[in-house]
Amino acid sequence: MATQFDPITLEILWRRLVSIVDEADASVARTAFSSLLRDAHDYTCMFTDSRGQELVQGTFCTPGQAGAMSLGVKEIIRSIPLEQYREGDVFIVNDPWLLAGHLNDVCVLSPIFYRERPVAFTACVFHHSDIGGRVSSDNREVFEEGLFIPPLKLYDAGLLNEGVLNLIRWNVRTPKEVIGDIRSQVAANHVCSQKIIELLRDEGLETLDDLADAIIERTETSMRKAISEIPDGAYPYQGRIEGAGKHKDIRIQLCATKSGEEITVDFDGTSPQVDWGVNVVYNFTYAYVFMAIKSAFDPEIPINEGAIRPVKMTAPEGSVVNCRFPAAVAARMQIGHFMTEMVFRALSKAAPDRIITDSGGTPAQTNIFYGKRNDGKPFHTMIIRGGGLGAGSRMDGHHCAIFPANGANTPVEIFESDTPLIVEARELVCDSGGPGKRRGGLGRKMVIRVPDDEKAPQGQITVAVQAGRFRYGPQGIFGGGPGAKARFLKNDAPADPSGLTFCEPGDVLAFYSAGGGGYGNPLQRELDRVQRDVAKGYVSVKGAKQDYGVVIDPDTLEVDAEATRNLRRSIESENSQRGE
Amino acid sequence: MASEFPSASGRFRLGCDIGGTFTDFVLVDDQSGRFYVYKCLTTPADPSEAVETGVSRLLEQHPGFMEHLEEIIHGTTLVINAIIERKGAKTGLMTTEGFKDVLELGRELRYDAYDIFAEYPEPLIPRPFRKEIRERIAGDGRILKPLDEAQVEATLEALLEMGMTSLAVCLINSYENPVHEMRIKAIVEEKAPDLFLSTSFEVLPQIREYERTSTTVTNAYVKPITEKYLKKLTRRLEAMGFAGRLYIMLSSGGITSVETAQAFPVRIIESGPTAAVIASQHYGKMFKIEDMFCFDMGGTTAKSCLIQKGHAGLVSTFEVGRVQRFKKGSGLPIQVPVVDLMEIGAGGGSIARINRMGLLQVGPDSAGADPGPVSYEKGGTEPTVTDADLVLGYLDPDYFLGGTMPLNKRAAEGAIAEKVAAPLGTGLVEAAFGIHDLINETMAAAAKTHIAEKGGNPQVVLILAFGGAGPVHAYGLAKKIGAPRILVPPLAGVGSALGFFTAPVAFDLSRSHREPMDTADFEEIEALFAALEQDGEKVLKSSGKNEEILFTRVLSMRFVGQGSETDLTVERNPFFEFSKEEIRRRFDDSYKKLYGRTYPETPVEFVTFKVRAQIPQRPFRIPKRTKEKRDLSECIKGKRNAFSVNRREFIPFTVYDRMRLFPGASFRGPAIIEEKESTIIIGEDARAAVDDYGFVWIDLERGNGGRHGDAI
Repeated sequence: MATQFDPITLEILWRRLVSIVDEADASVARTAFSSLLRDAHDYTCMFTDSRGQELVQGTFCTPGQAGAMSLGVKEIIRSIPLEQYREGDVFIVNDPWLLAGHLNDVCVLSPIFYRERPVAFTACVFHHSDIGGRVSSDNREVFEEGLFIPPLKLYDAGLLNEGVLNLIRWNVRTPKEVIGDIRSQVAANHVCSQKIIELLRDEGLETLDDLADAIIERTETSMRKAISEIPDGAYPYQGRIEGAGKHKDIRIQLCATKSGEEITVDFDGTSPQVDWGVNVVYNFTYAYVFMAIKSAFDPEIPINEGAIRPVKMTAPEGSVVNCRFPAAVAARMQIGHFMTEMVFRALSKAAPDRIITDSGGTPAQTNIFYGKRNDGKPFHTMIIRGGGLGAGSRMDGHHCAIFPANGANTPVEIFESDTPLIVEARELVCDSGGPGKRRGGLGRKMVIRVPDDEKAPQGQITVAVQAGRFRYGPQGIFGGGPGAKARFLKNDAPADPSGLTFCEPGDVLAFYSAGGGGYGNPLQRELDRVQRDVAKGYVSVKGAKQDYGVVIDPDTLEVDAEATRNLRRSIESENSQRGE
Repeated sequence: MASEFPSASGRFRLGCDIGGTFTDFVLVDDQSGRFYVYKCLTTPADPSEAVETGVSRLLEQHPGFMEHLEEIIHGTTLVINAIIERKGAKTGLMTTEGFKDVLELGRELRYDAYDIFAEYPEPLIPRPFRKEIRERIAGDGRILKPLDEAQVEATLEALLEMGMTSLAVCLINSYENPVHEMRIKAIVEEKAPDLFLSTSFEVLPQIREYERTSTTVTNAYVKPITEKYLKKLTRRLEAMGFAGRLYIMLSSGGITSVETAQAFPVRIIESGPTAAVIASQHYGKMFKIEDMFCFDMGGTTAKSCLIQKGHAGLVSTFEVGRVQRFKKGSGLPIQVPVVDLMEIGAGGGSIARINRMGLLQVGPDSAGADPGPVSYEKGGTEPTVTDADLVLGYLDPDYFLGGTMPLNKRAAEGAIAEKVAAPLGTGLVEAAFGIHDLINETMAAAAKTHIAEKGGNPQVVLILAFGGAGPVHAYGLAKKIGAPRILVPPLAGVGSALGFFTAPVAFDLSRSHREPMDTADFEEIEALFAALEQDGEKVLKSSGKNEEILFTRVLSMRFVGQGSETDLTVERNPFFEFSKEEIRRRFDDSYKKLYGRTYPETPVEFVTFKVRAQIPQRPFRIPKRTKEKRDLSECIKGKRNAFSVNRREFIPFTVYDRMRLFPGASFRGPAIIEEKESTIIIGEDARAAVDDYGFVWIDLERGNGGRHGDAI
């Protein structure tokens, strides 16, 4: 007989499960080697019941990894009969098609044994900034992108398989970091296992499965109820994503069909897979479709298997959003991250208050820097940059967000201790937020200089950019204007972000991330909000006039109410004459 | 007036805790072990006024203790309130060119990955007050660009003209080389000697510019208000004849001198709430209870802390002013040691209103002491939790604060009827119960989160109830989290102030110094530890203490290449007597215990050396009550109708006088125990028993859990 849980016990145990995974998550910051993990938080911890059904995922997770894991980890676990797992087994895998869509995302997975039976599985995916291969988004096939690890045992019943570590060690540039970070993954799983065993012991439970069923059922019910709140219908959207460099633009054709308590997103008509690194595997596309549905409908309830059940997706095999092996996938977020805002756009008429418009942090802007320090020692680091968040009906966009992914910036002081480079500025860019009744969040610039003093690095520094929004900026919605586009400058001149950039001592790179789109007519923005934006330097006096029709005295920073009234009226009549 | 205490009488100590609504006093006569207590409304405009009022009232009641008063230990919510209510100083920031937005960009991590409407706290310093200075120091400490001193002077002038009264200085990489911050400090001291100044190399010399800036800026933001207040308080106390030492409670659970508190107010943010935790630890020891849930509900906030194995956790970083109550990452980070407690805006003064969605909402804002709940008749018009408790019969309008502050029940009824019942379309009683129940639900959610985070189980934990409103709501809270037992200490209404007497005088110091273990010189490390200990001794001696000082040494170590450390406590032997193998073995043991595996072949390094200097806890005991032969009926004040949580109707509760209750007294609910500073509610499904020390133990019957909120 299944154990029944009264509501209060269920709630308490549920909270405890969430805090267990968060504790494992927090241990990464204490044990990881690379700043991409410990500072930029590009990793996700989760665990499942004995059947591989996701039970909880870390609060600070990255939705791309988390959503893909809820599908992939289940598949990996089920590929081996339960009775064949042994206590102390630890698996390692980075197969992009099984998991999070590129080789850098390495998963470590372990069964949790309690009273000699496997009762759960704990898994974490870490983004390793180095997995060997040619670091670029213009590789043609996955073979060029680094080391491919199918599911392997790193530990077999507690015994380390040194060969696996050696294989990795000889295929990456920074073995100390990579191995150190894999050890951190093993540690995170250990913390998670210990806490789950403690919970089972404290509560006198034999298994997690009954608890999982109760939690998953409640979650599914809640998710279904939330989805049922918008009218049934088919909501299509066609979007376009810029091709980097010489590559062609990519067409995304999607249709979100809401029927009863379920939503199905179909990608029929989307561009076929391409011969550069932006192809997306099914799981990763699903993750960001799910991100859109979950955040628009039921953001509160913690995620597990129950939340994903009412969200379905179909995509033609061989399309850019469901690519076939051996497509190049390293830069898959350059397409994958757009899924969220495109689903939002499809749903915008049916649920205008539940969505936000385009964001400058879509896709996440990442940079890899490597080279040799002054003393010849190699360095290799990766940073993630967000942009302005798109505005929603109720609020202005937050200025800096990695969205719809998640992650943190790397502190400048950490970056400068990881590399010989100097950060000259990291600041918000005035007038970069899309104008609207609700303004888009501001974009931001980061300026990095290669020193040419006695600590100048040896030879050239290599910089890889994986980003977007250079040609198509984040658009506004319901009358809101676009956010500023992203820019990449070398020594003050526009540079090509698509390939690798090589720098000499004295070179200066400037990375501008895009601003968020605006929501609603900027002429309806309240005067005090515009005035505050100008006082804070978010919007210039000129921008206030041009974009918002608000006249502000540049010396006193006060609004000229009458001039504003006249200006707004004349802009409105111009607009209506133009038929806007 | 003749002294109640002849000169032969012993030494006195006074604990004084200023909360958002009430200021509590506990005077202890160390010779006789007797306590004297007083509670009055906080005076927000000048909190030292309430202190003076309270002390003079105590003097009226017990003349003559002042000349024997050795120390006053003080905790205050002044600092945290100034931050939450944004009532700190007009603060300016000088930072490196290119980095004025550090404070605004933060770390960018979205604290709730799936919430697209998540809100973030506004920086304490608005953008126009964040100024950039031409200078630059590299990560290895070398100077890339010298400090533009003329620009520092011009910027200082400009900020002063804008009305800045406090300045924070935080330059990039100053943790590695503070020379430019030091120079700015010298310039400011010369040009604007009266300006309040906080430099990051003094407040928090640690890598990661956002956390360091946030901590330094917070320090600067509350520095003027803290200093002004402490000066005024010192003057008032001196004028009353106080010649002893004044100590301030630190967030870490230690106490410190006024001078240190003024220089680093960021370290006394949780000064008030910490006292209850320290008191709880003490009671835990007294009754040999290892795991307890300390619950302290006052007029403005509720503080909770899970004590495990006799100890409350200490964390090195925390957040203030979270915009999302329970969400980590939604507040301003502060990196100073603090007792691991959870504080939420739920108190007797929490305001009930109907929100935009047409739903009842209680808190987090509070009517505080001024204007206070409607029933105080001090101008408050918004119904509060206290008003609801009054309507429900839990509080006696004629016995609030022992009858010194009559409450107007009719006014409370009117406000609840108009502002809550009418818009909800319910009756008065349902509305009042809705307020009471919702605040309990809010606190239960916080309690469950806090307990779950620590791996505890609320269904086996004992709730220790403090604060004026704590014993009123502990029963309802216990039912909601499934706790089987409640303990209400004597003087619970001012009980947290008792914690002051058991707190050690302590100070934490640290120095970052990265060094691989292989090449580390242990003699040098011994010198480093010794220097830290000397500094600690200096601080403690300035606190006027001459007792023996206890030092604890901690090594923060990691594998070379890791970004964070594992702490290792080492004995205070001369450090060079340790072998490297020994330290390495200890590190590996500790790492393996935490993370399952260790890697003895991978090199390790030292990162930070920490010292805690403290003077041991002073003896403090609660005297046993004399056993009086008395009949239980003599303790009964009467009967009063109050609302039953279980039956959802008014039923008669027996009202007991806590002062008359005797050791061994035991009875079933429904009951109300009244004492001057608080009221204990006991439902019909619970039993109360009084022990030899006057503690009330309440056992809840299992199985009729009442109604619970839905699962998350």
